[in-house]
Amino acid sequence: MVHVGKSYPIHDALGKATGRTVYAGDMELKGMLHMAVLFSKIPHGFVKKLDYSKAMELPGVVDVLYYGNTCQKEYNRYHSQYRQDLIHTERIFNQHVRFVGDRIAAVVATTEEIARKAVSLIEVEYEEYSFALDAHETLEGKIDNMDEHGSVFGSIANEVGTRPENDGTFVEVDTTTHIDRINHMAMETHAAVAEFDSQGELTIYSPNQTVYGIRSFIADLFDMDYNKVRVVKTTMGGSFGGKQEWVLEPLVAAAALRVKRPVKLVYNREESIRSTYCRAPMYFKNKFTFTPDGKLQDVDCDLLLDAGAYLGNSINYARTLGSKFFRTYRYPHETFHAQVALTNTIVSGAFRGWSSPEFNINFEHGMNMAARKLGIDPIELRLKNVIHEGDIELSTGLNLGDFKGRQVLELGREKFDWENRKKEIAEFNAQNKRYKRGMGVSLGGHVNGFYPAKPDYTRVDMCVTESGTVRCGVTLHDHGCGTVTAFKMIAAEELGIEVDQVRIQEGDTAVTPQDFVGCFSSRTTYVMGRATQECAKLLKERIKEHFAVERGCDVADVVLDGMTVYSTKEPDVVYTWSDLVYASQQRYQHEIFASYEYVSKDNPGVCGGHFAYVEVDTYTGMVKILDYLAVQDIGQAINREICIAQTQGASVMGAGAALTEHVHYRPNGVPFANLKDYHLLNSFEAPSVRVELIENHNTEGPFGAKTIGEVCHVPASAAVVGAVNDALQSDLNDLPLTPDKITAYLKNREER
Amino acid sequence: MTLNFILNGRPTELEVSPDKRLLDLLREDLGLTGTKEGCGEGECGACTVIIDGEAMHSCLVLACQLEGKSVLTIEGLEQNGELDKIQKIFIEETAIQCGFCTTGMIMSTKALLMHNPHPTETEIRNALAGNICRCSGYTQILRAVKRTSEEA
Repeated sequence: MVHVGKSYPIHDALGKATGRTVYAGDMELKGMLHMAVLFSKIPHGFVKKLDYSKAMELPGVVDVLYYGNTCQKEYNRYHSQYRQDLIHTERIFNQHVRFVGDRIAAVVATTEEIARKAVSLIEVEYEEYSFALDAHETLEGKIDNMDEHGSVFGSIANEVGTRPENDGTFVEVDTTTHIDRINHMAMETHAAVAEFDSQGELTIYSPNQTVYGIRSFIADLFDMDYNKVRVVKTTMGGSFGGKQEWVLEPLVAAAALRVKRPVKLVYNREESIRSTYCRAPMYFKNKFTFTPDGKLQDVDCDLLLDAGAYLGNSINYARTLGSKFFRTYRYPHETFHAQVALTNTIVSGAFRGWSSPEFNINFEHGMNMAARKLGIDPIELRLKNVIHEGDIELSTGLNLGDFKGRQVLELGREKFDWENRKKEIAEFNAQNKRYKRGMGVSLGGHVNGFYPAKPDYTRVDMCVTESGTVRCGVTLHDHGCGTVTAFKMIAAEELGIEVDQVRIQEGDTAVTPQDFVGCFSSRTTYVMGRATQECAKLLKERIKEHFAVERGCDVADVVLDGMTVYSTKEPDVVYTWSDLVYASQQRYQHEIFASYEYVSKDNPGVCGGHFAYVEVDTYTGMVKILDYLAVQDIGQAINREICIAQTQGASVMGAGAALTEHVHYRPNGVPFANLKDYHLLNSFEAPSVRVELIENHNTEGPFGAKTIGEVCHVPASAAVVGAVNDALQSDLNDLPLTPDKITAYLKNREER
Repeated sequence: MTLNFILNGRPTELEVSPDKRLLDLLREDLGLTGTKEGCGEGECGACTVIIDGEAMHSCLVLACQLEGKSVLTIEGLEQNGELDKIQKIFIEETAIQCGFCTTGMIMSTKALLMHNPHPTETEIRNALAGNICRCSGYTQILRAVKRTSEEA
C-alpha cells in the first residue's frame, strides 16, 4: 500500500504549530457578546431569592438569563439521537440546585471580564437541603428529594450462560474495586458559540462528537424545526469522551435566541472540572470461580455507579459495562447486577472506552488475585481463558472473528522479557527493604462500533472537482487525533492519488451528510472508514463510466492511473480527471460523483495487552514506572505514528488514573477543581511507552483495520495496578493508588 | 496605564489596565490567540511565552510587570514566512495531535534551546515538565525536541 500504514502529520498541523488554528474559544463574530455563568455554591438546596439588579446596572451588561426567564423544559444532556428514550431531569438553569457547580443564572455582556464581574454581583439566597457525596449515602436514604424519578435506579441486571456444576474442587476468589471520579482534562476547556440570524436560523459552533446529535437535542429543547438549527464542529483540543454530552451548547443557544446576537461562552479549568462531567465513581463486588487448574467458570459482579447530580448517561453506562463480559475471555456463565445512584456531586458521563476500562480495572484485578491464589503465572492464567479466533461472544452470539488476544499476550511476554524479569524482581525484592518492584499484565477487549446493540450506518459522498482533486463529504469529528488525515489516507489509497488531493470537511449539518450516530464507540475508522473506502471504489467506477461515454469505449477496458484515465484499447489518449470533468460538464451533462451508504454488520473482537514494570517506594508510597509495553490487536494501522502516539497517550492517561488522578471532594461538597490538586503525569514522570502492533488485515474495516483510540486505553490502568500489587503482594484496587493509600495500607498490614 | 514593551521584536505601546493578565492582553487586546489558556494557574503550560529569554506562564504575568520587557509569542517565531525549525520538526515528527498544548510546548522548547542548544533527554524532560500534553504520552514531542537540537 502507498499511504495506509505510513505516517502523516495531522491535517491541520501547520495551523497548530503556528497558533493560527481557531478553536471555539478563539472565535470572533461580528457583534459577538460574552457569557459567564453563576453556579451553585452549595451541594443541594433551593434558590429562594435571586437578585440580579446590580448585575444589570453594570455598564456593558446586555442580559441576565436565569430559571425565571429561560426555557424550563427538562432534558438529558446525553440526548444525541432523535427520539432517544431517556429520563429528563436537568434544566438549562436550575432553581433546585443539586451540586456545587449547578447552573443558576448567566450574564451576557460585551466582554468576558464584564460578564464575570456581573455574575459576582448577583445575590442568591438558598434554602439548604441535606446532601450525599457518596452513592452509599444515597442508598441509605440521605437524599430522597432529588427529583420525581427518585435517587436510585436499580433494575439493571443480566445473566448469561449456564452455571457449571461445582464438583467440590472449584476455587472462589472474592474481590472489591473502587474507582474514583476522574476528569478528561482535555487541554482545551469547554467552549461554544451560538448565533441566531434574521432568517430564524440558529447556528452553534462547538468542539463536539456529533453535530447531528446536538441538532436533535437543541431542536427538541427549543421546539425548533431541525432545518433551523445548524451545528458546526470546531477544531477540538481533545475530547476523551468529555465533549459528547451537551453542557455549554444549550446555554449559548438560549442566550443567542434571547439577545439575537452571537454569544460565546468559555469555561475556565475550574468550571470545566466542576460543571461539565467526569467519569463515574464505581464500587464493584465480585466472585470469580475457577477450576483448580485455572479455567474460569463463573463471574458474579455487583456494581454501584455514582451518577452525580443528574442522570445523564449513567443507566446506559452501567448497562454497557454489563455487556463487556465476553469480549476478552471465554467462560460459561456470568451474572451482573447494577444500581445507579444520584449524589450531590459532579455529573457522571462518558469517558474514553465507555466503561471498558472500568470493566477491565475490576475484571483484571480478579484475574490477578486468582492467579496468586491458584499459584499460576498471570499471563499463563490469561492464556488459559482468552478468547480464540472465531469464538462466539456468549452474550450476543456474534462471531468475534480475528481476535488476537493470545498473540498479544505471547508477544508481550517475549518483548517484555517477562520470565527473566520475574527472576530479577525476586532478587531485587529479596535484597531491598525500602523499594519493591513488580510487574503487571492486563488484557482488555473492546468494540468497533455499535453493532449489534444499535443501528450503525453512515453515508459518504465524493465528487471530482475541476482540478481533478476529490472532495469527500463524511460527518467526521476529529478529536485532535488525526481522523481527517486517516480518512484522506483511506480515500487516497483506494483512489490511487495523493493524500492532499482529497479534501474532507468535518461535521457541519449544513454541509456534510446525515450521520445520526456520531463519532463514538470506536466506530469512526471501522464503520465510517469502510464507508469511505467503499465510496471511493464507487467513485472510481463512475470515473470509468464517464470516460467510456466520452470515448465511446468499453468500461471494462478503462484504467485509472493516478489522476488520469485511459482505455487499454487506445493507450495514447490519456485524460486527466480534470479533462474528464470538463468533458462531463460540456457533453455528458452529469457530475462525476458517488454516494454510498454503508451498514455495519459485524463487530470483531479487538484488544490490547499492556505490561507495566514498577518500583514502589514503601516509605513514601510513590510509584515509578520503570518500563511499559502496549501490544495492540489493530488489524491494520492506518496512520502508523498516530496509532502509536494514541496508544502511548492512552497508556499515560491510564497510568494517571491508576496512580494520581481523581477529583477529590471536601466534606462540605466543594470539589478540588484545579490542576494543582488533580495531578496529570508530566514529561518527567511519564514512562517511555513501547508499542507493538499486531496487524493481520483481516476485518471488514478499511484495509482490514480495527479500532485503536479507545481500546488502547482499556488495559492501561489495570496493568499498572497489577504491577503495584505484585510489588507489594497486596490486593489494593481502590483507584487511584495514591502515596497516601499505599502507605496507609502498608502501615495497617504491619500493624496486623 | 500606558505600557511600552517589545512584542515579537516590535516596539508596542498600548493602554491597558495594570492588573490585566498578559494572556488576556495577548488574546483579547492584540488578537494573538495562538497562546492558549489551559488552567489559569501555571500548571499546564499552554500559555507559555518567552519574556527576556525565559519561558513564562502568561497567565501569571500582569501587564504592569511588562514595562520595557521583550515578549516573544508563537506568532513571533516565523521569520520572513519561514517556520522556526522547532515548528517544522514538530509537524514532521507527528508531535502534534489536538494542538492545544502545542504552542506552549514549542515556546518552552524554544526557551530551552536558547539556553541549552544540546540538552540531554533528562534535561528536555525537565524543561517540558511544566507543559502537559493529554494526547500523546510525550514520545513524539521529546523526539522532535531532540532532533531540533541535533540539527541546529
